[in-house]
Amino acid sequence: MNQTVLAWLIPGTAALLGAAVLAGWLAYDPAADLVVQVPGMDGEPAHAGPAAPGAAVHIGDQFRAGDGVAADLPGSWPGFRGARADNRCADPVALADRWEAGQPPILWQVKLGEGHAGAAIHRGRVYVLDYDETARRDLLRCLSLADGRELWQRGYPVDVPRNHGFSRTVPAVTDRHVVTLGPRCQVMCVDAVTGDLRWGIDLVATFGATVPMWYAGQCPLIVGDIAILAPAGPETLMMGVDCATGQIRWKTPNPQGLKMSHASIMPAVIGGVPMYVYAALGGMVGVSAEAGREGTLLWFTRDWDRSVIAPSPVIFEDGRIFVTAGYGGGGMMLQVTREGDTFRVATLQTFKANEGFASEQQTPVRIDGHLFGVLPNDAGPLRNQLVCVSPDDVRTFVWTSGRDRRFGLGPYLASDGKLYVLAADGMLTMLRATAEGYRELGQKHILDGHDAWGPMALAGGLLVLRDSTRMVCVDLRGGK
Amino acid sequence: MTTPPQTDNAPPAGVTRRQFLQNGLWGLAVAAVGAITGLAASRSSRSSHFWQLDPAKCVQCGRCETACVLTPSAVKAVHAYALCGYCKLCGGYHQPQAQRIDTAAENQLCPAGALIRTFIEDPFYEYTINEERCIGCAVCVKGCSQFGNGSLFLQVRHDRCVNCNECAIARVCPAGAYRRVPADHPYLLKGSPEAHA
Repeated sequence: MNQTVLAWLIPGTAALLGAAVLAGWLAYDPAADLVVQVPGMDGEPAHAGPAAPGAAVHIGDQFRAGDGVAADLPGSWPGFRGARADNRCADPVALADRWEAGQPPILWQVKLGEGHAGAAIHRGRVYVLDYDETARRDLLRCLSLADGRELWQRGYPVDVPRNHGFSRTVPAVTDRHVVTLGPRCQVMCVDAVTGDLRWGIDLVATFGATVPMWYAGQCPLIVGDIAILAPAGPETLMMGVDCATGQIRWKTPNPQGLKMSHASIMPAVIGGVPMYVYAALGGMVGVSAEAGREGTLLWFTRDWDRSVIAPSPVIFEDGRIFVTAGYGGGGMMLQVTREGDTFRVATLQTFKANEGFASEQQTPVRIDGHLFGVLPNDAGPLRNQLVCVSPDDVRTFVWTSGRDRRFGLGPYLASDGKLYVLAADGMLTMLRATAEGYRELGQKHILDGHDAWGPMALAGGLLVLRDSTRMVCVDLRGGK
Repeated sequence: MTTPPQTDNAPPAGVTRRQFLQNGLWGLAVAAVGAITGLAASRSSRSSHFWQLDPAKCVQCGRCETACVLTPSAVKAVHAYALCGYCKLCGGYHQPQAQRIDTAAENQLCPAGALIRTFIEDPFYEYTINEERCIGCAVCVKGCSQFGNGSLFLQVRHDRCVNCNECAIARVCPAGAYRRVPADHPYLLKGSPEAHA
């Protein structure tokens, strides 16, 4: 009897255990803890994007006169990248070839709101679009080039939440007008001498522009008396605005749906045709600047499309265009060719940041047929080094500054056969502008702050530069 | 059985001075050995130093994830919020050239979904680390150091680390970023004096 019970009990128990294990195995879901990663998990509201500044912005409604006097000094740096948009100063002023102790002297300094807006210089005046953090307003400040004292200021309240600083852009100046573009895309035009308001346009309210991440970085361009702007709204990609009246003279449609980048519009002549080249988010365009055909789209390519684009295109006389971007954007050399009334765009070279010449914030400078620039943070072991390349092969470095000479994301410009590079920590380096090698001539720590990223301006031998909160004027002149 | 005869010059019964000294020396030796053994045992049970990763030397090679004797690694990403820019486009969170700046898996860098993004107010987003998911691969650290403020970095978490005599990660770290740190200051946080020591 006991043997019979055991004969059933043992296999029965084994069968029950087996069934339990099988059921458990079938019921177990190894993916039960997985979380599907989909958009919207951060709680971002559906209408996310830069919040409206609240009430309508009354552009240019605040003015205050100062006691500064315009300097009687030669030279002009009338906007982003200087008079010829090439980041070179052609003023016939001899600059010092070496710096002794205490040189170059700092002539003056002023405190600014946190940001990266560079200066324009014209007729002894320095123009900078500052942000007044206390009064929460964009503020165009006109300073004397001689001593930094303020001639006047004009601004308008607009709430800009701090986001890696506030200000970004360089004004455009002529004898008559100054045009600014604020961090939240308000355009203001004032009299260059008196500061009287001419007009204002809110690119968001009027053209549906999308304020870029970290705010607008597009610097206005003035050609003749026309301000060239790229709102990149749903209807209008680019437009020309009469500086005297504020009337819109021409518009370029935006069927491609391009968005505003941090790059600026670059004037160019390709195939004998004057044009404006703009690297937007979504693609790059060439827009006619030819009299009678202003605003006509000449060419368009999506080959150059990056999520963040700060450097502006560098254009060569033969129609080659070098473009670059940070955040994994790398670089690209394009070729624009005119064929009758049409233009064709071809990609010559494209590469990642650690495979060739690239830049994150600053636009490279051309000197004697070579390109010079500081490599971005994602350039591998060469990151932040100053390098020189030939435009014929932008993936091969002619020279690099070496592991002991890194410059962060700082600006640079050229004049009098020399290249001036400002490191992000405020160290100014002077070197020979030559493809023969890195020939350093001098160094001086000019600024004590951080994030010295704002473009520099040079006029009459006086260099105006800044870190995140302070602007200084340095005398580079020397006797030869 | 007979006993040896007692003589007049035999030592008196009890402990002689020589024996007393010998016994005392033996006792001291045993006590010293015991003290050393006890000290060693104490040290082995409660270390006074831990292994830690110096974020200033880290090159984000990925070996912290694979070389640790634990799976997942005891090395985790940590976040110095004071350094963070709270950016909408985060170099530590988003793929380079992400098509959209959102939380979709295809736009994220972290292979484990361990970096959590939370909307604060436009244009600010907070990034926190889910340590249970973090595998210490340093992908976020590399992105943050390249495109951000470097607020994300790696640390050995001592609630997980088994404190091997010879750390398996330290043996293969190409940057020599591992070192012993006092147990009462076991972390090398960015911006702290220990990190600069």
